Amino acid sequence: MMEFQALFEQYRDLITIAVYGTAIALIVIGLYAVLMKKHLVKIVIGLSIMDAGIHLLFVAIGYISGGTAPIFSPGNENAGARMVDPVPQALVLTAIVIGFAVTALALSLVIRLYKHHHTANIDQLNSLKW
Amino acid sequence: MVITPVHYIVAPLIAAFAIPLLIKIHKDAARIVPGIVLFYNVIVSLFLMNHIAEHGMISETLAGWQAPWGINLVVTPFTGFLATMVSILGFIIWLYGYRFKRTLKGGEVKYYEILQMMMIAGSIGIIITGDIFNMFVFIEIVGISAFSLTAFYRSRDGAEAGFKYLLIGGFASAFLLLGILIIYTQTGTLNMAQIAERMPDVPQQMKIVALIFFLVALGIEAEMFPLNGWAPDAYSQAPSPTSATFAAVVSVAGVYALIRVVFTMFDVEGVNNYLMVMGFVTMLIAEIAAISQKDLKRMLAYSSVGQVGLVLIAFGIGSNLAVFGALFLMLNHGVIKSLLFMAGSYFIYNTDDKKIKSLNGIYKKLPIVSFFFALGALAIIGFPPFSGFWSKFYILISAADEKYVFLIIGILLVTIIELTYYLRVVGRIYFAKQEGEPASHKPSINALVAMSSLALFIIVIGVYPDLIMPHIQSAADALLDKSNYIQQILSIKN
Amino acid sequence: MLKKLIVFLLIGTLGYTLAVTFSSIPIGANRIGSLDNPETVAAYYLDKSPNDLKVANTITAVVVNFRGFDTLGEVSVLFLAATGLASILYRKEEEEEEEENKRHISHRLNLPSSSLVQTGAKILFPLILLLGIYVFIHGHLTPGGGFQGGAIIATGFLLMLVSYKGFKNNHKIMVWLESLAGLGFVGVGLYGLIRYGSFLQNTGWTGNLNDLVSGGLIPLIYIFVGIKVATELTNVLDILLNIKSRRK
Repeated sequence: MMEFQALFEQYRDLITIAVYGTAIALIVIGLYAVLMKKHLVKIVIGLSIMDAGIHLLFVAIGYISGGTAPIFSPGNENAGARMVDPVPQALVLTAIVIGFAVTALALSLVIRLYKHHHTANIDQLNSLKW
Repeated sequence: MVITPVHYIVAPLIAAFAIPLLIKIHKDAARIVPGIVLFYNVIVSLFLMNHIAEHGMISETLAGWQAPWGINLVVTPFTGFLATMVSILGFIIWLYGYRFKRTLKGGEVKYYEILQMMMIAGSIGIIITGDIFNMFVFIEIVGISAFSLTAFYRSRDGAEAGFKYLLIGGFASAFLLLGILIIYTQTGTLNMAQIAERMPDVPQQMKIVALIFFLVALGIEAEMFPLNGWAPDAYSQAPSPTSATFAAVVSVAGVYALIRVVFTMFDVEGVNNYLMVMGFVTMLIAEIAAISQKDLKRMLAYSSVGQVGLVLIAFGIGSNLAVFGALFLMLNHGVIKSLLFMAGSYFIYNTDDKKIKSLNGIYKKLPIVSFFFALGALAIIGFPPFSGFWSKFYILISAADEKYVFLIIGILLVTIIELTYYLRVVGRIYFAKQEGEPASHKPSINALVAMSSLALFIIVIGVYPDLIMPHIQSAADALLDKSNYIQQILSIKN
Repeated sequence: MLKKLIVFLLIGTLGYTLAVTFSSIPIGANRIGSLDNPETVAAYYLDKSPNDLKVANTITAVVVNFRGFDTLGEVSVLFLAATGLASILYRKEEEEEEEENKRHISHRLNLPSSSLVQTGAKILFPLILLLGIYVFIHGHLTPGGGFQGGAIIATGFLLMLVSYKGFKNNHKIMVWLESLAGLGFVGVGLYGLIRYGSFLQNTGWTGNLNDLVSGGLIPLIYIFVGIKVATELTNVLDILLNIKSRRK
């Protein structure tokens, strides 16, 4: 455990860039897909990617260097002081489920739209002003 | 206390989970049970309002953990006022829609009723929760129901409006999560009162970034410019009782969320001006767009957005009188716009065409509904004997007090615009030449009861505004008294 | 072209803002304070979960008890999503007939899978179910819980749905399970409200840390959540998959 912590301290900058960079990159890529892609399913995928980035940020924020999973399993009963923050993990569970619900609903609307327009290209959906 | 705020949420949830079973016993259960639940919510509201008038605000703990540790539900005069308004309007909308939905085939009624009921329950949840993440969950409950209901008719345009709403709503939830995340890293808590208490220690840069995320996310929910593009489409494509719910319930909850976050949680300078400017732009653009609409429901939708803009302006002015006016306007807007959507949907029902130009002389076919529509139109413009006059009047006075001349000019200009497009419709209804055969769909008795109770409210409050003003005044006081809110919630920690 | 420029500007601003904001939030720093003097909710939870609630998995304690109201909301979001999905993809009889006349969309989903897949699925299905049930029953002891277990069970149903053409869920049982699980969750909450005056409050009896039967009502709630999530997800999959194969 201590070794890991020392290793973490040594490469802290690198890890920061890697974790935050990945998360922010996912958010930005998702936003790009939502705004620029023409295919409806790709737009929905973009929304999911964006959510994934945010979830990653949540989990990263909860991390405490050298911390273990917040589970008091046998032999680990008194480790409360060395545990990572449980709240973001609980929040992310909620956020994932809600993201799933939104994605499922979005896909069903895509099916509907495809049925009416026989296309999944967003430029050809223009019965309402976009 | 026999009745606690959690009943607001639990009763609809039990009903929603039980309806698929109850429908096997009696096939009308899906229609009737939501009515019982919504009526129960009205009773809960009246009971709680009575209770807080005697004993002060309620902060109910959930799961037995006191305020900052667990989730709490807060009923202050402010939240109680809005929750009462939402639950009463929700019940009236249910009453209106009771027979209307007989045209739907059996299986679908179940979906419609569950979604509609949960949308109202979720809005009440947004209003009474004291926890920022819990608010996010309720916003999503409202959102999911609203997306589904927008696409409920499964028409081509409905699916498109639903998808558009869903995309923008997806943005809103993503930004809201980011805002909550930043606030959580800085304060280590999710309780709004405790966040507000710790906010002065948060670095300015973090505060601003988080506030921007919240403003974008909740601005979408509150139909604030520039992210309100979903509103006209969703309003016009949803079933009519749902459009009324969007105007009377969902937008109220959206504005509440925005105001709660901006007024209570953050103490950033200049955000009031931002609200005022954005409200002004929202109002001006929406009202100008409303003139050129050919579709009745779209016109009403743009008018709704404009009213929300005016509410935001009044909150932006921020003085006690302005907040009073804003709350009064929220109430009036909910009542009047529900009435307009209810009456308007009978026009649409009888013309098979949502266009304004097919309303010519419809007054002869549907005299009572036309009367209600005209009443609503006059009230929302702000003609003196109706309730709409008072809210606009107080907002104008508060703007004059603070010497915001451009606001006064803008509001008066917008009133002229409203006058133009509403009177155009009313003129068509009453004075244009009639064509076509007599009305095929007469309003049902329950719809008439719903509409006339709203109309009665408009007239009675217009003549005797003193009946409701003390409640609004205490609501405005409760909103502005931020330190009391924080103290009350955090002091009961033991 | 202008749109592209605006989009890139928007994305750039968002990325830059996020990068600047989060670079000043050090990763791995201890923000939750000490357990003796809980400044943040996290420290308080880490203290109360093993000592008061006797729940080994703190995340479960947070999800089911401290923030149990969120979870109730979350379960209803899933329920509403399934309802909304059904309402959007629900088809009237006329519509069905009309589509029967112009059936041109591919029938790939209707083709049966190879017998290898079918046999494998048949063997795996009970095991997946068992794993899912294990995960949500042990939600308060090990990583996992109602949502994870429910999702695992739903994958089992997904496997069956894609490998067997005629695989039909028993809708009657599904509807009952779905409703009763939801009502059970609310019922446990109401028990707390009536008995102790606070919705979802846990019982006084909590057992010993790391026992299977411990934590009061928390495992019970997680079992309800597991059943609810499993049925809702299966429902969603069923609706989405059967939209094409229903036309015969």
